[in-house]
Amino acid sequence: MILASLLLLLLLLLEAPALAAISAPEGFLALDTPNDAGKSLSLVWKASPADRAGRSVQVWMAESPDAPFKKVAEFPSNTRYVKPGDFPWWAQPVSKGDHYVKLASSQAFPIEDGKPYFVKLLVREGDQEVWSEVAEATAAPNMFNTAQANNLVFVVAFTGILLASIAAARRNPHVHLRRIAGLDAVEEAIGRSTEMGRPILYLTGSGGMDEVSTIAATVILGEVAKKVAHYDTGLKVPHRDPIVMAVCQEIVKESYIAAGRPDAYKEDSNFFITSDQFSYTAAVDGIMLREKPAANFFMGSYFAESLLLTETGASTGAIQIAGTDSDHQLPFFVTTCDYTLIGEELYAASAYLSREPVLVGTLRGQDIGKAFIMSVLVLGTALATVGVVADTGIFNYVLDLFKDFK
Amino acid sequence: MKEFARRMVGIDRRVIFLLIAMATLVPLLHPFGLPIKVSPEVKAIYDYIEALPERSVLLLSLDFDPSSKPELEPQAVALLRHAFRKNLRVIGMTHWLTGTSLADDIFLRVAAEMRKERGKDYVFLGWSPGAGSLVIAMGQDLYKAFPSDYQKNPTQGMPVLEGVRNLRDVDYLISLAAGNPGIEMWYVFGKDKYRFEMAGGSTGVIAPGLYPFLRSGQINGLMGGLQGAAEYETLIKQKGTATAGMDAQSATHFVIIVLVLLCNVFYFMLRGETGQQRTPG
Amino acid sequence: MIFLKRQLPLAITFVMGVAFAFQYYIPHPISEEAITSVSKWMQIISGFALALGLVSVFHVHWVKVKRQVPGWGYSLVLFVATVVTAFVGFRSGGETTVDGVKTGLGWLYDNMMVPLQGTMFSVLAFFIASAAYRAFRARSSEAGVLLISAVVVMMGRVPLGQFLLPWSWDIAQWLLNVINSAVRRAILIGVSMGSVALSVKIILGIERAYLGGGRDQ
Repeated sequence: MILASLLLLLLLLLEAPALAAISAPEGFLALDTPNDAGKSLSLVWKASPADRAGRSVQVWMAESPDAPFKKVAEFPSNTRYVKPGDFPWWAQPVSKGDHYVKLASSQAFPIEDGKPYFVKLLVREGDQEVWSEVAEATAAPNMFNTAQANNLVFVVAFTGILLASIAAARRNPHVHLRRIAGLDAVEEAIGRSTEMGRPILYLTGSGGMDEVSTIAATVILGEVAKKVAHYDTGLKVPHRDPIVMAVCQEIVKESYIAAGRPDAYKEDSNFFITSDQFSYTAAVDGIMLREKPAANFFMGSYFAESLLLTETGASTGAIQIAGTDSDHQLPFFVTTCDYTLIGEELYAASAYLSREPVLVGTLRGQDIGKAFIMSVLVLGTALATVGVVADTGIFNYVLDLFKDFK
Repeated sequence: MKEFARRMVGIDRRVIFLLIAMATLVPLLHPFGLPIKVSPEVKAIYDYIEALPERSVLLLSLDFDPSSKPELEPQAVALLRHAFRKNLRVIGMTHWLTGTSLADDIFLRVAAEMRKERGKDYVFLGWSPGAGSLVIAMGQDLYKAFPSDYQKNPTQGMPVLEGVRNLRDVDYLISLAAGNPGIEMWYVFGKDKYRFEMAGGSTGVIAPGLYPFLRSGQINGLMGGLQGAAEYETLIKQKGTATAGMDAQSATHFVIIVLVLLCNVFYFMLRGETGQQRTPG
Repeated sequence: MIFLKRQLPLAITFVMGVAFAFQYYIPHPISEEAITSVSKWMQIISGFALALGLVSVFHVHWVKVKRQVPGWGYSLVLFVATVVTAFVGFRSGGETTVDGVKTGLGWLYDNMMVPLQGTMFSVLAFFIASAAYRAFRARSSEAGVLLISAVVVMMGRVPLGQFLLPWSWDIAQWLLNVINSAVRRAILIGVSMGSVALSVKIILGIERAYLGGGRDQ
């Protein structure tokens, strides 16, 4: 009995080092880093239950199998895993939960494109160490980032929807657009100005012609100018941007011609003041206080000058209508103006007033895009919640389609 | 009573202006010094800088002009003091032409206070046109984007820029912005492409609009207005103009709240009457 | 002429727009070099835009001075100020400090630019108070909710409010991080879609307002 126990103990002692022996990483591969600009390699290997903080992994590289290898990285073996969200399922170099290490070119070890490199891992724990097989890989730049394929698909799809909506609007421009409250006030404002014999002041904001809000503002100016021409009311449009001024001059001139009043058009109704924010604001405030326009229109994008303009306008008793997509200035417009068009209401107003097929179609296309986003939000939230509750990753196949990967 | 309410509802704006002026001036002359609570979004910036190793690279973009100096200069000063205390290498620049001299002054002052040397511990690159294009150019090659600094010293070979080739080598970027170009532009053309971590500081009025970026992790921290600067001064345990200004801001907020509540009391007293008229101020 | 004014710009816009839209998806160094080159062109053009702005200002105000329209005195002040600042700037070599000493340009900047800009911005504080007094009335239930939220956030964001009503800080943080973020995100999505739609229309030549002149299809 005692002999058997001693034999068993001896066996256990002999076995003990074998049980604790570390093994080489399984499935170790070196490959060109996907979806990058080159000069980078990626290493992948399977995760192991034996991975722990006390065990380290070293990465050694050389330019040929016979050249001396150089250590380029070292980290604990229980790190550098592929986590959910690192790669989309269609561009994943290794399964989730396995190891992934990216080696970029550095001063310590430069990596060139088109040249093969040889990599091996050293797993070390205490006195024990084991080398992996040597893997070979060649870095190369990629022509397309497959991780962003979903992004490209959405861009192309949205463009298609937009073009289709514009084409549909050209065939049938009488698309229903919800009436916007502020637009009813435009007639009222112009009528009030005509009765009082005072001009209308129209501002197109701080932006250039490359901003949606400025374009919307110029379209609304065209419609306002038509009504102004009809009633023979004065119109003053001070500008911060010379290009916007040039565009508005043409728009106002055409509006007067369209209203049958080319003789009433005044060249200096559109004038440039300065590009500087507060100098412009001071000048416009001066115009408001001296000339006391009966109606002020603030359309476009604005910054800190918004309250300075609207509060001065309010002090003169003018009716004020604002429309902006500058959400940080909305509170000031809402408190000081009689009517405010918020965000996309400004874009919709330009479409509503002009009924131009391009504007109407664009609005419809954007609405479809937003409906799609809302559906994705609801669906994505539901799937993500169910996935967490049921502890399954199966819904990631759908959720990844709507994520942004780099 | 109704007559009094009617007069109060249509009170001359200058009376309100006078009350605000008093509320701002009196606490500046006689501060009452209340404790300042730190918000998680400001602490996130502090913690990130605290965790950076010495000689890490911090890029501080002072994207404001003199009009926003009262709110953003205290933020810049507090951040610089912290960064210099941690022996970080600071790269300064601005996207706002009219703020260049102001930004350089800030760097000079704080560096002198913290005994830091230009070229060795910090560099102020100045301004260059392009906004988003400039960020892309910096992302490819910092030295081509800024061949010299604001003092016309060549950037190539500067000890503070050792090992920094482009924006990918920046460890942390903070944009203190009063508008556009600012934080959004740095994210779209900078972080999204070159993958550095970034935070933002802004004037109080645009701060609420930046919370979506904070919540989604596009920026990892946000300092809003003078309050944000005061919170940061509390964290670095060095009071400055922001903490001093908070008393005035507290009093002003209080006065505005009282005025608004009073106005509503008068409004409800008059509500029964017909014929609401628009009253010029 | 119509080719130079219309068709050529539209063709350039289309080619460059499509190329640099696809550039985003191409990580190859050729793509990176292309965007770097174009960024350099943009920087150069931005520099020219400054000169263009200056010429525009001079032209407009010179006409005002020449015709002596009402307010022409302010235009004269602008001319004098521009000339003086430019002269001082050239004399100072464009520097605001030299060896720690303020130059003339630095003096102008510190004693004129900074106080003037600061004054304009600080007027906002007074205007906010008068606008709030005039407009923050609980005319409806929505206005009442707005009023209460405004009061809570104003209290919660300053030390005095945090001292008098400690819970106002927590509610203000919640309002900013949850309600405010949600609403801003919605507006941001809508505005961003508008920007994308406009960009697509400009690239495809459907939107031509940026070329100047009237609207045509």
